[in-house]
Amino acid sequence: MKIRRALDGKSVLRLRTGLEMRLSNLWACLFLVFAATTLAVMSINVGFTRTGVSDLGHLAAGERLGGAEVFALLDVRMPRILTGFMAGWCVAMAGAMLQALARNPLADPGLFGLSQGSMVTIMVLLALFPTAPRSIIPLTALAGGLLVALTLIWLVRGDRSGGLAILLMGIAIETVLSSVTGILILYTPAETSYALSDWLAGSLFRADWNGIWAFMPWFALSIPAAFVTGRALRSFGLGDDMAMALGEPVPWSRPTFLFVAVLLSSAAVAAVGPLIFLGVMAPHLAGILSPATGRARLFLSGLTGGTLVIAADILTRLVAADVPLQLGLSLSLIGVPLFIIALRLRALRTISNL
Amino acid sequence: MRLAIQFAIVLMLAIGPALASDRLVVDDAGRKVQVPQAPKRIVVLHEAALGVPIAELGIAPVGSYGRDDQGASLLTVDFYKIVLAGSAPKPLPRGIGAIGNMDLERLRALSPDLIIGTEHNVDRARQLSKIAPVYLQNSSTGRVRGNESQEALSRLLKRTKEFTALKRSYAQRVKTVRDALPHNPNGKTYLGIFITDQINLIGEMSGLVQAFQDLGYTRLDVSGIGAIKGFGSALLVPISPEVFASLNPDLLVMMNSYGKPQREEAHIRQNLDRIIPGWARFLKPARDGRIIFLDSAKVTTPSFASANHTLDAVRAWASHQK
Repeated sequence: MKIRRALDGKSVLRLRTGLEMRLSNLWACLFLVFAATTLAVMSINVGFTRTGVSDLGHLAAGERLGGAEVFALLDVRMPRILTGFMAGWCVAMAGAMLQALARNPLADPGLFGLSQGSMVTIMVLLALFPTAPRSIIPLTALAGGLLVALTLIWLVRGDRSGGLAILLMGIAIETVLSSVTGILILYTPAETSYALSDWLAGSLFRADWNGIWAFMPWFALSIPAAFVTGRALRSFGLGDDMAMALGEPVPWSRPTFLFVAVLLSSAAVAAVGPLIFLGVMAPHLAGILSPATGRARLFLSGLTGGTLVIAADILTRLVAADVPLQLGLSLSLIGVPLFIIALRLRALRTISNL
Repeated sequence: MRLAIQFAIVLMLAIGPALASDRLVVDDAGRKVQVPQAPKRIVVLHEAALGVPIAELGIAPVGSYGRDDQGASLLTVDFYKIVLAGSAPKPLPRGIGAIGNMDLERLRALSPDLIIGTEHNVDRARQLSKIAPVYLQNSSTGRVRGNESQEALSRLLKRTKEFTALKRSYAQRVKTVRDALPHNPNGKTYLGIFITDQINLIGEMSGLVQAFQDLGYTRLDVSGIGAIKGFGSALLVPISPEVFASLNPDLLVMMNSYGKPQREEAHIRQNLDRIIPGWARFLKPARDGRIIFLDSAKVTTPSFASANHTLDAVRAWASHQK
């Protein structure tokens, strides 16, 4: 393991296996891991029941705790933290993948219609089969997201289709599906409509260990997926012709990576509902910490997304007694100011480089 | 042998009370629920549709959705105080988090032995079941009428005696009011209007509907006039102002939304004037003095208390007519 200079003069850490990491990316990663851990500790301590990290330590050491403390720690707070982090990670990573695929910094699962596809199929399932087992919801979300992805691929087929074509078609599909969502909310029976509206706002209320185990394979999939797709996504950023010149088989790798993004986005939608704007926000915030590309960008985006959702959940639970604050709203309250600051910093950085 | 019999007796004595303390029921969502024989610490997820009827049956809920930690209402109206007045639970039920942000830890801290929700809470039942058994009671138009949900709750909570006593006293009151009416209500129609930022027809549940039905009135047939059927709605069915202006029930019942603090006649008139200016000059029931103004907070719960508030208002109107 050695520290070397890259061709652009920046420091990189070279491992014996040949893997290289920019030091700036490594520091950003450590900072985000620290932030996520700190927020998770805060989240463990926040809630109506007087308990926290120290009690969790006692529990891990095999000591007996009161029922209320065990319930608060193991049935409410831990599932919310883990589900929130995994959902945020997946949405942000899917957003970073789609931005590279579309060569557009605004792309995210919502803008491509992938989240809407998952939502509409879940809504149709709940409206038509209200007693259907909830365990099939993730598969339904996946089917909806995949259907949108396949439609997108079919619509933009052909060698001359670029990132802009995917984005525009995605926006068109998203608009149509949003209308379908509105119609379903208006005309489904009230109890279904209430449940759907609640879920559309994003919620960790249903987070539990069964859900975590169901989500875990998709979250685990994101790690090898980031390793496999990272290099190719960097090539996509240079344009299709250049990517192919660099040896990237664009005609099949683009749909494959879109498929991976769908898997991640659908899993998150099924777990917590659509986390609007997180897919755009998290990669840009990660980009301010360290202007990474490829694999590093995917991992930093995932960490930023997970950290933001934990922070949003803390805000939601801090005001739980009096203020009805849904996860989606608290995510916006925390993320959007950071996003604006990040964009201003980027603009200032660009000006100073001129 | 003797040892075996002794063991069997000891086992029965030990298990017997545990078996007797719970019973298996099927709720309105078709879920099998193990509920206590006599629930004492009930949390309700809807104050007007569930909390008030249960409190009237003599069980004070320990927790109610839409209140704070001290029991103060987070809504514009406190249904327990307004509907039940002197019979309101003391102390008032405590809250379980803000509306739309239910707090499982707060809920568990109340140590409920039964959580009762409406059919709208079906998606939350699994999480809530970790704390206490969750029973879902139908409470919406198209599924229950009048005070049917209170009767169902009385059976669930083994309070049928209390329900019968309330019904007996209410029936006497119905007879008195019926005798005081200026006309025979048999064959006459009524229509309840709930004014929010639009005009809504009152659905089929609530004490108000029960009272008019028991007095002998029939709800004006609104099928085919453009009103949405309202299946699944807890209380309201929107109707267009143009259609409303053409309606002519024998008795028109009007009320402002309980989301507003001003619910008296003057404010109801003012509110409707914003939607249909000059309605008092051309609406037939208005011209003939066939309108009763009610306080929606008092009459829209499925309870005898709400039905009695309605009867009081009808009686006051009838005495004015005479």
